[in-house]
Amino acid sequence: MRTLPTGQYIPGHSLLHKLDARVKILCLMLFIAAIIGAASIWGYTLVLVTIAGLILLSKLPIRSVVGSIRRMGLFLLVIFMMNALFFDQENPLASWWIFHLSSGGMKQGFSVVGNVVLILMLGNLLTMTTSPTQVTTALESLIKPLALIGVPTEEVAMIISVAIQFIPTLMAETESIKRAQLARGARFESKKLTERAASFIPLVVPIFISAIRRADELALAMEARGYRNAKNRTKRKKEPLVLHDYSALTISASICLIQFLLLR
Amino acid sequence: MSKMSSVKRSIITAVCIGLCVVLPMLFHSIPNGGTLFSPMHIPVLLSGLICGWPFGLLCGLAGPLLSSLITGMPPMAYLPSMMIELAVYGLVCGLMINLIRTKKLYADLYISLVVALIAGRIVAGIARALIFAPGSYSMAAWATGYFVATWPGMVIQLALIPTIVFALMKAKLIPQRYPAKG
Repeated sequence: MRTLPTGQYIPGHSLLHKLDARVKILCLMLFIAAIIGAASIWGYTLVLVTIAGLILLSKLPIRSVVGSIRRMGLFLLVIFMMNALFFDQENPLASWWIFHLSSGGMKQGFSVVGNVVLILMLGNLLTMTTSPTQVTTALESLIKPLALIGVPTEEVAMIISVAIQFIPTLMAETESIKRAQLARGARFESKKLTERAASFIPLVVPIFISAIRRADELALAMEARGYRNAKNRTKRKKEPLVLHDYSALTISASICLIQFLLLR
Repeated sequence: MSKMSSVKRSIITAVCIGLCVVLPMLFHSIPNGGTLFSPMHIPVLLSGLICGWPFGLLCGLAGPLLSSLITGMPPMAYLPSMMIELAVYGLVCGLMINLIRTKKLYADLYISLVVALIAGRIVAGIARALIFAPGSYSMAAWATGYFVATWPGMVIQLALIPTIVFALMKAKLIPQRYPAKG
């Protein structure tokens, strides 16, 4: 818990790192649509070739991109089994109680797990080539059209910025509360699962009290300095999209279109 | 519970979003701790109860998104359904606490929490069945995933959240819901 896992972001100078964060988020959504639309071997081949190309362009080690997938092995197995055992109850290969193993279910399970793995890899590529601040700024820009239906987008952006800045403070606070509870006999490293789980409960209330106290102090400080709302704030940096951003969007949209043409 | 300024409510929501990132890291040293104890749900439900439904809705949407971007939990593939579930928790919790006035703090809190937890699970199940896994999501899978596997988390939420709200009121960090007369 001591180090913040912002090690998710790996600084670099690849083409993927240079792309605008807004473009990367939009391309991610297009690729997710392409993955969900993949229904044939050609569709999946197109997606796999695209992801392989993106990994090469990012110059990131493959182990870091697929690392989180290995950790989720058990979870993916559960997803596969739930599909295999509950999907098709009318033509089962084998049945016991409420469980019905079917070939259709197993096919569906492979498809779902495959889609999850591909989307995970794309998500990892986004988070590893884009810092959380860049993502927040991009999201703030992308949600601006919601202002037309009355959503206070500036306030939302302010709240998310403050949340990101609070994370290291909350982690340090959590660590000091954990040490205080250890001194009082809490057993966080106990081999007994129930004992270990029970020892975390007394952490939660002090963490919330301390966090809300900090929020109260910050709000008072902001109001004392005349802050009332986030409207009419301006930014120093304004970065327009460039050629490689438009190219990335065009290529992503084309892949999505090819995938839906293949569906027909 | 809604006599706070909008600045204070915004900052409390920001802190709750930050806790959506920090709390799951705390529970992940326990095997399967995230699924069993659902630590991300606590700040979302709290922000709905304390700050109102718009802030609860924002916390439910932004909390899992930020946590996924910064720590990788929840995985991107499960992020949309989790965002929907938590958004409904924050929204319904905030709406219920405004509507229900039994003159008893704990009754208001428990009714709001139970309705929010059930509504969130129903909407998330519908979203999975119609959008994220159409044709492959059964009632049995929904019941197992949202009730059987997560009952310890529900018990912890129902026990801890009213305790936290009471402690915050006692520390005068949030206004009393039913101020004592005289």
